[in-house]
Order: sequence, then C-alpha cells, then structure tokens
Amino acid sequence: MALHPEALIVGGYAVILLVVAAALDWLAQHSQQRSERFRTAGFSYLPQHDAWTCSEDAMLWPMEYDELHHLVRYRAKASVCNSCLVKPSCTSSANGREVTRAVAPWPHSEAGRFHRGISMVLVGCAAVLQLVAAARHLEPSTLVLGLPMLFTIWLGIRYSAHFRAAPANFPEPTPATGLRVTQTSRTRWGSDAWEGK
Amino acid sequence: MLKASTTERSPDVRRPMMVSRGWVQAAALVILFGFAVLGFLAFRTYETGPPIADRVVSQDGKALFRGDDVIKGQKLFLKNGLMEYGSVLGHGAYLGPDFTADYLHRAALSVTRQYGGAASSTAQAKVIEDFKTNRYDEATKTLTYTAAQAVAFEELVTYYGNYFGPTSGEKGMRPDAITDPTQIRQLTSFFAWTAWSGSTLRPDKNYSYTNSWPPEPLVDNKPTANVMVWSVLSLIALLAGIGALFAAFGRWGERFGWKGRQADTISFRPPGDVVLTPAQRACAYYFLVVGLLFFIQVMVGAASEHYRADISSFFGFDLASWLPYNLVRTWHVQLSIFWTATSFLAAGIFLAPMITGREPRRQHWLAYILLGALALVVFGSMIGEALDIHGVLPDVLGAFGMQGWEYLDLGRFWQVLLTVGLFIWVIILFRGLRGRLRVESRGNMPWMFFYTALAIPAFYAVGLLTSSDDSFTIADFWRFMVVHLWVEDFLEIFTTVLVAYIFVMLGVVRERVALTVIFLDIILYSAGGVIGTMHHLYFSGSAAETMALGAFFSAMEVIPLTFLTVEAWSFLQLGARQESKSATPFPHRWAVMFLVSVGFWNFLGAGIFGFLVNLPIVSYYEIGTALTANHAHAAMMGVYGMLAMGLALFCLRYLIPTERWSDKLAKISFWSANIGLAWMSFATLLPLGILQLYASVNDGYFAARQLEFITNPTNSVFEWMRLPGDLVFIIGGVLPFLWLCWLGVRYRVGGSRDQLDEILFTEITEREPVEVGDR
Ligand code: HEM
Ligand SMILES: [Fe+2]
Repeated sequence: MALHPEALIVGGYAVILLVVAAALDWLAQHSQQRSERFRTAGFSYLPQHDAWTCSEDAMLWPMEYDELHHLVRYRAKASVCNSCLVKPSCTSSANGREVTRAVAPWPHSEAGRFHRGISMVLVGCAAVLQLVAAARHLEPSTLVLGLPMLFTIWLGIRYSAHFRAAPANFPEPTPATGLRVTQTSRTRWGSDAWEGK
Repeated sequence: MLKASTTERSPDVRRPMMVSRGWVQAAALVILFGFAVLGFLAFRTYETGPPIADRVVSQDGKALFRGDDVIKGQKLFLKNGLMEYGSVLGHGAYLGPDFTADYLHRAALSVTRQYGGAASSTAQAKVIEDFKTNRYDEATKTLTYTAAQAVAFEELVTYYGNYFGPTSGEKGMRPDAITDPTQIRQLTSFFAWTAWSGSTLRPDKNYSYTNSWPPEPLVDNKPTANVMVWSVLSLIALLAGIGALFAAFGRWGERFGWKGRQADTISFRPPGDVVLTPAQRACAYYFLVVGLLFFIQVMVGAASEHYRADISSFFGFDLASWLPYNLVRTWHVQLSIFWTATSFLAAGIFLAPMITGREPRRQHWLAYILLGALALVVFGSMIGEALDIHGVLPDVLGAFGMQGWEYLDLGRFWQVLLTVGLFIWVIILFRGLRGRLRVESRGNMPWMFFYTALAIPAFYAVGLLTSSDDSFTIADFWRFMVVHLWVEDFLEIFTTVLVAYIFVMLGVVRERVALTVIFLDIILYSAGGVIGTMHHLYFSGSAAETMALGAFFSAMEVIPLTFLTVEAWSFLQLGARQESKSATPFPHRWAVMFLVSVGFWNFLGAGIFGFLVNLPIVSYYEIGTALTANHAHAAMMGVYGMLAMGLALFCLRYLIPTERWSDKLAKISFWSANIGLAWMSFATLLPLGILQLYASVNDGYFAARQLEFITNPTNSVFEWMRLPGDLVFIIGGVLPFLWLCWLGVRYRVGGSRDQLDEILFTEITEREPVEVGDR
C-alpha cells in the first residue's frame, strides 16, 4: 500500500503554503510597522509610562482613545512645541505634536486586512488542494494528509478569527451621502477616558 | 509645496531644488555607469555571438542548408507566431517545446542510433564528440556536419514537416500550419543553428556559445563552471548588499528626510468640488478603453489556459482552427502591455493639470488624437497578427502583420506608430507641465515626472533595433532592452514618481520626502536593473561575461526589492493610513488600497519570484517553464496591473459624479483581483513550476518541456485548480472594474475649465490650542 506520489506532493506543498502564508503575514506586519516610522521616526515609546519622548526630549502623553481608528493619540505640550527649533520638520499644528499608536492587534488596519486576506487565500489553497488530492486517491494511505490538514485548519481558524475580530478601521460610507466620518473620530480634547489615567 | 506655484513668479527665478545636489549626481552616476557597461556588452554580443555559416555541408560534401535559410527560418518562426507557441534558446511561450532543446535531443538520439544505439560502448562518446567539436571554418564561412548529423538533419526535416503540417491542429496550432517543404526545411535549419550554438564549443573554450544550454546529457551539456561560480557569487553579493543596506539605513536612515513628521490635519476636497479640465475629461474614454482591453486580455488568457488544461477540445469545439493557441497567447501578452500602458498614459494626462494648475488650450485635442492612435495600434495590430497566424496576410503587407518577437509581437508599422504615439504623449505632458517646469529647479518633482515619462518612449524606441534580419542572439539583446528595462527600471521609477506625486497631492507626504524617495528609488533600481537586463541573456549566445555581470547585478536588483520594497511597501501603505482627523472623508479608499497591493506584489512577484528564477544555475534548468510564468504573472499583473487599476480608480473618482460612484464595486474589484491573482500563483503556477523544475533536473529539460509532461494527470489537476481563482478574478475583479470605467463615460462630470485649484485638500489649522496639563 504505497502512498500515491500525488498525495505526497500535495501534502508537502500544502506545508510549504502554510509556511509561506505565515511568513508573508509576519513580513506584512513588519512592513506595516515600518510605515509607522514615516510618522514616528525619532520618537520612542516608553511602555512603562505609556508615553513617548521626541528627539528633543519632550514628553508626549496619551490624550485620547480614538474608537474609530482603534488608536491612542499622544500629544506634547503646545507651549514646548511652539518654541521648539525643529518644529517645522515636525508638525504644523499649534496644539503640540501628536503621535498615534495602534492598540488593536495585527491586522488592525485595512492594509493589514489585505495582507491577512492574502495569507488566508494561501491557507484556503492548501486546504482545497488537499481535499482534491484526497478525493482523487481515496485510499487508506492518503490519511497521511490528515496531519497537514489539521495544521491547515488550525492556521485557518487562527487567521480568520483575527480577521473577523479586527475591523477595517475605515470610515464606513452612509447610504445617503457617500463617505462620511462618523462622530467618534472627532477630537475630544481633554475629556477623554484616558485623561488622568 | 504645491501651493507655492499658485503665487506667480517671474519666469527666470526657479524654485531651488528641494533636496541636496548629491542625489542628482549619485543618480546620474549610477545610470551612466550602467549604460556604459551595457554598451560594452552590446559590443561584445556582436563580436562573440554564434556565427551563422554561409553554407552547411555534410562531410561528404553534400549541401544541407545555407545561412540564408537560417534567417528565413527565423522569419517564418516569428511570422507564424511560433515564438508564442514554443521557444528557442529558452525564449518564447511555454506550451510547445523549446525547439532548440527539441532539435538537439532528437538529433542526438538519431546520431546515437546510427552509431550503434545507447547500448554500444563507443556510441555515446562519439555522439558527444560529434556535437561538441567546432567544425565551423571562419575563412570559408562553412560549417561541416558529420555524416550522422547530416542524416539526423534530414530526419528532422521530415519530423517537423509532420509536426507543423498534418498534426499541428491537435497541438494547439492552426491545423496544417506550415506545409510548404521549402519552408519546413528553412525552419528546421533555424532550429539546427540554435541547437548547434547550444552544443558546439566556442573556439578555445570548454563550453558552448550558449554557456552549454540546454541541459542535455546525450551531448554532455551540463552547467559550466561559470554558471556555478556566478550563481554563488551573485548570491553572496545579494546577501552582503542587503546586510550593508540595512546597516546603513539603521545608522543614517533618519537623515534621509522622513523625520517622522506628523500627518497634517487636512480636509479633502470632495471629488464633486474638483473641476476638471477638458483633457482630464478626455481621460474617461481612456479608462473605458483600459477596462475593455483588460477584459479582452483575461478572456483570451482564459482561452490560452484552456489549451494547457485540455489541449484537444474546447468543450467539444474545435478552437484551434479559429483561435489557435499562439494567436490567443499573442493577444494576451500584447494586451497586458496595452491596457496597463493606456492607464499610465491617461493618469499622466490627468495629473499634469493638477501639477501645473492650468491647462494649455486645446490640450484635449491632442489627448483625443493620441487615444485614436492607440486604438488604431491595438486593434490594427491584433487584426494583423490574426491574419498572419492564419497565413492569409500577403507578404507585401508584412509590416502590418506579425513581427513575432514575444512582447514585441506587433507589426513594424504598428510598432513605429506606437512609438510616435508615446512621444505625442510626452509632448502632451510637456505642454501641460510647461508652466510649472519653468519655475522649478530641474531636480524637482515636476521635472522628475517629465524625465521619467520621457524614458518610457525612449526605451520603447530601442525596441525598433530588434530586427528579424539579425541573428537571434543580437535581436534578443535589443528586445530585452525594452522588455526588461521598461518593467524593471523605468516603469518602476515612473510608478514611484506617480505615486509620490499623488501622495503629495493627497497630503500624505511632504514634497521633500517624496523627492527623496524618488531619488533613492532611481539609484537603487538602476544600480542593479540596468546591467541586470543581462539576466535574460545568460543562454542566448552572448559571451560568458554577459552572464557573469547579469547574474551579479540582477541579484543586486533584489536588494531594492527586498529592502526598498519593504520600504516602498510601507511607503505605499501610508496612503491607507488615514488616521488623522480629516474634516471631510478621504475619497480614495480603494485607489490607495490598490497601491498597497502594488507594494505587496512588488515584493512577492518581482522580488521573491523574480529571484527564484534569477540565479544562472536555476535559470539553466528553469528558463521557459511555469516558474517563469508564475513570476511574470505575479509581477506584471501584481505590480503594473494593480497600479493601472488603482490609477484608474483615482481618476475615475473625479470623473464619475459622487452619487454615481460605487465604493462597493471598487471594493469587490480590489479583493477579487488580489485573491484571484494569489490563487493563480499559489494554486497553479508555483506548484507547476516546482514540478517542472524537478522534472527538468531529473529527466532533462527536453522531457520537461514536452506536451506529454505538461498535460500529465498531476499537472492537469493543478491546471484545473486555477479555475475558481480565474473565475473570481474575471467576474469579481475585471467586470466591476469595467463597469466603473463605463460609468466614467456614461456619467462623466460636466463643466470644465482650464484653471485648476491644484490641491486636493486644504490644510486646516487646528482650533485654538487647548493647553494640555502635565500628568
Ligand atoms: C515589476 C517588475 C517585473 C516584471 C513586471 C517582470 C516581468 C517578467 C516577465 C513578463 C518575464 C517573462 C519574460 C519572458 O517570458 O521572456 C520575466 C522574466 C524574468 N524575470 Fe522578471 N519581472 C520583474 C522583475 C524582476 C526581478 C526584480 C527579477 C530578479 C532580479 C526578475 C527576474 C527575471 C528573470 C530571471 C526572468 C527570465 C526567466 C525566463 O526567461 O525563464 N524579474 N519577468
Ligand atoms: Fe528582467
């Protein structure tokens, strides 16, 4: 009862697909973090204080939790920034520099969902390939496909759970007016739940 | 910034350059160096290409064929669209065999048989001796075949007579494609010449004219020392280069300009408020053409795929007599260039007035003329190709028919017309930008936009040097100047400029950062990309140093594509990071998502899948197999297809009145196109490519390219696996996109003027500072 080579090929390839899916997901997450660098380079986050420091050693404190975008907004004191020498390369705001930090888990953004979606396509592809191979060679030896299949299902559930839980973080269009930013994105100066934490 | 130009300046005072001169110098140096080396290699290719003997005779003096026949055979090969059916020297389509490897293998089998068969103890050595010895006499320009080789040649004339004659229909070609005995002989002569180049040792070298490609044990063709050494060296160069670049960026990256500036708080101008110019409105028709051509491309693609999955019947319908494989493949390949290019052209025309702030009079006339010329080229060339492949185009009209070089299939006449059209496009851009160019330093973004646009027709024009009168080696050299330099250098850079400009207009980045990214891209892409062209020419008869330099520098290409792509990949995601508190909604949700996907596919399709086939040792066994198709689809559709779609959506958002616009269709199209492409790649092309590569190493390249292998049961399963992905791509990806393009024409916004408020957003100053207390 030799294993049919096709089942072996498909099983092996399915494992490759899963590894690639995981690698792509990890890389996408990494590239997303780098894209944050365009905004936060020069700033460092201090987890123990939940605050940021800038290159000029000013502190940025949490100001607001933005429900819509699932991020925390941090701000420096306006008086510090407005008298800062490097302000022109930092911000045009008169209210002090703002930095944001995403709190929702990866993939927390629309771009994240896209990348996660691609990884899920790979997982789906692995699943379908194995089912087809199993159906074509209905014999006991094909049971070895069970192992990669379990792995496939596990990764599929894992990825899709995140996918279902994480919103697209994009203002949803309302039927009447096309795109419209909902109220929650409005700044709630000072009066936020994070204040005085 | 952009607003600067709205305040009128006196024409002589240019706005100073926004970044240091060092960037310009570095970019110029890199490009000059690249082209100097390419020039040298071009010269060497003329010098060292395999000679075409005036006469080929057998040892007993019998004339077999003439140099003339080889060139005529090459022309027949091209004119009949056979480069879109199979390949020679690894270049061409992948359904049919590689005729170089095919001839070589069959000839070697015949000679072995004549020497007593594989069982004979001496036969093998004698066969190798026959095929490796260089019997070309430079003085008399005469090539001598051994008696056994001459017999093999005659046998193969008969074989190919049958192949292209009575049995061509069942192989996916037009039935009875070539029946004239003289033509068959010429075609066979051409194959024989390529096979001779592949097996015969160069004078004073221990490898053949093609670096001993194709792999063929019967004549002892195996990877040469050069193939091995340069594979390893290029791999090391790549790893070292990546390491160095990451280290450099870790250390100095923050000086490069993106200093973590806060996104400005901005208010987007609702698309309905943006008044368009007449030329911008003309773009609506461009995008309808884009949508239509895209649709036709995938439909003929589906037909050509069907040949691979099930060659002999199209749901019981004899497709080959109407739309033979090579015809649908020709159209598929040509349209992939046409529709994406049309979208880029339209985007250029659309952006120019936004950059300048006004539009010269009658600009739209030029735009309509260009569109007319494009439509003429597209449909004219497609009809010409069909007539030629069906063998009904009279020879005098040859310039309108099939030129036949893969990717440059269109007839000469159309090729010239297209080149002219592209230059008209540059004129349109120049007219449109002139007002702005006058007041800007020549290193600033408007000029970069213009230069990179100019490079596109300039390098398309180089393709005119590809002549079917030259030997394949030389023609192929020039062909890849277009095929490669377009996609791997100039289009990448044009893409960066376009995207950077759009981002500046949308307030995503400041102009200085955008310009820095542009220069960085130019340097990094060109450092590897220019000389990297030679990665297509490892085995087509150029000298060994072509392979060495090609391998080395194309590996360097992957440095930007891993590093820069991660960088560009994240850069492209910036547009989607709409986290600032805009007072008005961001209008380009799906356009920027398409850009995100461009970043992803650039990394995966171009960077990873490209590198997968890039090492000489891999390419040696892999060239012209499904792994190339995998890379080609993931890179071409993934990068330029998605970009073309994204640009179209960006412009259509302004062309379609808001109440007619559908974000939902855009979303469906985005997801379906990406899911469909990923599925195609991972469910079919990648696994097929791996299996074929395995077969090529294990059973020989000849076997891996035969129809029997391609249509074997396991392969067929993978081919059928494509179907769901293809359906998603076509129904969910292409059709909604086509519908949006149609809406652009159907409900095109009315009213136009030639003065524009260029900026698509206004910065809002935040309300009075609210002092933030310390904790
Ligand atoms: C967006 C960028 C790219 C596009 C659109 C693209 C597209 C293509 C296409 C269409 C082919 C098939 C050519 C043929 O059949 O003759 C091809 C071949 C090839 N590409 Fe790319 N490519 C890109 C980037 C790259 C990169 C970055 C590399 C590696 C450094 C690469 C390496 C190769 C190689 C080695 C081949 C030859 C394979 C063969 O002939 O079998 N490509 N590419
Ligand atoms: Fe290339």
